[in-house]
Amino acid sequence: MTIDTAVVLAAGEGNRLRPLTHNRPKPMLPAANRPILEYVLDALVDAGISKLCLVVGYKRDRVQDHFGPTYRDVPIDYVVQKKQLGSGHALQQAAGAVDDSFVVVNGDRVIQSKMVSAVVDAHEDASAVLAVLEHGNAQRYGAVDVENDTITAFVEKPDRRAFRLINAGVYAFDRSIFDALARADRIDGTLPLTTAVESLVAERKVQAVRTNGLWVDATYPWDLLEVAREVLRHGLVEAPERDRDVWVADSARIDPEATLQGPVVVGPDTEVAAGAVVGPNVALGRNATVGANATVEGAVLDTDTRVGAGSVLVDCVTGHDVHLGPATVVPGGPADVQVGDAIHRGERLGAVFGDRVRAEGGVSCAPGTLVGTSARLRTGVVVAGQVKTDTEVVR
Amino acid sequence: MCGIVGCVGRGEETLSTLVHGLSKLEYRGYDSAGVALADGDLDVVKRAGELDDLRAALDGDSLSGRVGIGHTRWSTHGPPTDANAHPHRDCTERVAVVHNGIIENYEDLKADLLEAGHEFRSDTDTEVVPHLVEDRLAAGDDPEAAVRAAVSRLEGSYAIAVVVAGDDRVFAAREDSPLVLGLGDDAYYLASDVPAFREFTDRVVYLEDGEFAVISADEWRVTDDEGRRIDRDVDTVEWSPEETGKSGYDHFMLKEIHEQPRSLRQCLRERVSELAGSVSLDVDVDPDGVQFVACGTSYHAALCGVHLFQQAGIPAQAFLASEYATSPPPVDGDLVVGVTQSGETADTLSALREAKRRGAETLAVTNVVGSSVSRECDQTLYIRAGPEIGVAATKTFSSQVVALALLVLSLTGASRHDIAALRDLPGNVQQVLDESDAEEIARAYEGSDAYFFIGRGLQFPVSLEGALKFKEISYEHAEGFAAGELKHGPLALVTENTPVFALVTGDGEQARKTIGNVKEVEARGAPVVAVTDGKSDVHRYADHVLDIPASDQRTAAILANVQLQLVSYHAAALLGRSIDKPRNLAKSVTVE
Repeated sequence: MTIDTAVVLAAGEGNRLRPLTHNRPKPMLPAANRPILEYVLDALVDAGISKLCLVVGYKRDRVQDHFGPTYRDVPIDYVVQKKQLGSGHALQQAAGAVDDSFVVVNGDRVIQSKMVSAVVDAHEDASAVLAVLEHGNAQRYGAVDVENDTITAFVEKPDRRAFRLINAGVYAFDRSIFDALARADRIDGTLPLTTAVESLVAERKVQAVRTNGLWVDATYPWDLLEVAREVLRHGLVEAPERDRDVWVADSARIDPEATLQGPVVVGPDTEVAAGAVVGPNVALGRNATVGANATVEGAVLDTDTRVGAGSVLVDCVTGHDVHLGPATVVPGGPADVQVGDAIHRGERLGAVFGDRVRAEGGVSCAPGTLVGTSARLRTGVVVAGQVKTDTEVVR
Repeated sequence: MCGIVGCVGRGEETLSTLVHGLSKLEYRGYDSAGVALADGDLDVVKRAGELDDLRAALDGDSLSGRVGIGHTRWSTHGPPTDANAHPHRDCTERVAVVHNGIIENYEDLKADLLEAGHEFRSDTDTEVVPHLVEDRLAAGDDPEAAVRAAVSRLEGSYAIAVVVAGDDRVFAAREDSPLVLGLGDDAYYLASDVPAFREFTDRVVYLEDGEFAVISADEWRVTDDEGRRIDRDVDTVEWSPEETGKSGYDHFMLKEIHEQPRSLRQCLRERVSELAGSVSLDVDVDPDGVQFVACGTSYHAALCGVHLFQQAGIPAQAFLASEYATSPPPVDGDLVVGVTQSGETADTLSALREAKRRGAETLAVTNVVGSSVSRECDQTLYIRAGPEIGVAATKTFSSQVVALALLVLSLTGASRHDIAALRDLPGNVQQVLDESDAEEIARAYEGSDAYFFIGRGLQFPVSLEGALKFKEISYEHAEGFAAGELKHGPLALVTENTPVFALVTGDGEQARKTIGNVKEVEARGAPVVAVTDGKSDVHRYADHVLDIPASDQRTAAILANVQLQLVSYHAAALLGRSIDKPRNLAKSVTVE
């Protein structure tokens, strides 16, 4: 039978992406200049899915406000996961909203429609299907072993480099998955979907379908720069292409004296002033402003970001409504970045600014700086390392 | 204010199509509802109460018919009873009529009909229509001619739909009340508003005043009052049927409050450029002065407009539309601006007609493309807020104020600072939504005797709007006052059990004076909730604070209002009120 319903898991925060997830869940973070979740829903709708069930939880109003009751004319049913007790628990919340067969995808990774089509087609012969793909960095994600199209082993974050195939997080199930979820043991009170799938793997009941194409995930804030590069490289942007690899939304205003160096995408309502040089590998969100003579390179500047005149931003990620005053300087990575207790060495990162950071003029950021939500950086300060949420930094 | 629907060509699904249509028009009234199906016989079922009461009455009843009309009512003539519910029938029970509007000469007509021996079963003005049709049928007219003749005798406002037993057509006529045809592949629809049939088609024809329409299974036809066919353009509706869903929220009102960042972006899109410091609107006016006419929340937006125009040096006044015609002011050189969300508000339309009659240039500020006001005024400024379903207006107020601010800037010229403030607004509203403590405040003051709202300058209309929102959905007593007026009377109402919401933004003279008024209130023991951008020290005198981001004073009014929208919503939610359909109210009022 064909599948017309998809369950999208979009309830989790993604806490390793803080401070960017302070006000929204990971699926709403930008892949270039559109939320990751838009790519996921595009993949589903392009594959012929006609009923979307979004499991929402953490900061769910952001998902609901963005998509509303429908996406590309496909109705959306919102199901609330009140406590974030894992992806399996999230899927259980949707049990009442789905038919006999359905697709399940993670809402926080960019996928392509052929992965969805592949599991839908393979589901004709198997009750549980999982899309797998080759990935150069398999040890970072959930890896799988496959024999004759059947998954034989399921290893979350393996040590061995031998695992080349990863779980793409795109599934087709019938309702037996709910039985497997009911039987599965919780881990510290949470129920990951992979635990239930693992039990089916042990029974050799999960079919693998090999796919390829764009599959990108962000674990840490700076990964959004790589995600943007990949999305731009594949030309997966919504705006019309003005020049080669230069995409500009119709409602954006680019001064004729500004330079856009592809690949670059400019979102709706955004303005770029005279003398600004934007690109390569830059994604400007909605209603952003790049002031006169500013230089922006390798950056994801999200909705309502203001970049003051004469600023230099390299390898930089901003959240919503970030105001960077004139002559802000972020010279760029590589850097050692501390997240929690872990130190990530040699990451290519200039700075991350959480939502609503205000930097007055002349602020400089050492490579690898993480600035927390709503922090205030007064005129002329030099910051490095981590700046906590809501703090004020003065000279 | 009522909603009417009609359809032909849906076969066995006629009844469910009508009931679906009525459910989409419930925002227009919900104190009684009914349907009539004609196909050989004429069957009518109608009930006082909400649509669910009609559904219950229909359950198990095997009504069938391939032609039908329906009605959801907001009472004007006669209380909501089964008898007063539409459709209304004639003495022979062969004619059924639904009507939105007011028939002004119904008493004369009714007297004539009673004298001629007709029996009336309701207190409504509408019931004269089926009896008039009955007379013409008895005189030998065919159904179409009979309906035409009946309609020609009516004075007042109406959107009317009629079915006659044994005829497979629906007849309709319009005068000063909205009516739109929907053209499906195999079926035709008519309704007071597009959502009634949007699921089935996006091709529509908006009827004009004085026009008459006939739909049958294989034809639609629009004619003038003498029966001459009129070629009408077919419009395409751009929004999808699902845009009228709640997207995971418990109420449309909360959904619409949350939609404000997006609707404000739409309002501003391609109209402003910060780098060029320019505003461009598709409106060409150059008034010596401005007169606003509006009702309810739109009137409060108009009061904000007055303030913005006056500050820019352009004389401006706002009038309650229902009062405007009573003592109309001189209009020479003035632009008369009608602010109405739906574009169908009868009071506002009537005030605009009065202004036009006296030679004024008119401008409509509205949300609904193709609405009556946009067709009647010389020019239209659309606020682009998208469909608003909740009866309590929220996102449309914000967009109305922004549209009026744009209008002022387009006349006086804008600085980059002006435009930057407007472009920052969607993000600032998002911040209020992300960080608001309104729910806690609502909980803290649940069960108070009354709720007062005070402000000065632009924050005065916001205090009126805050109080209107509060009373209309919570049913609690709420009043807004100009802060300086408090000591001239209303202060007598203030007690320990009447929280006062004080809107204090900026740190200038206005803020200082309002803080003085806050101290007056505090001295009487009333709890104070300050809505503030943190620029003044009002927090020192307040029991609670609702923060808004520091911004331009013009946009601060909108941000303060968003906080008050949330307070009202949560207060009403705590009381378990019918938030999207408050008692006795309808979304847009198409009767005067």
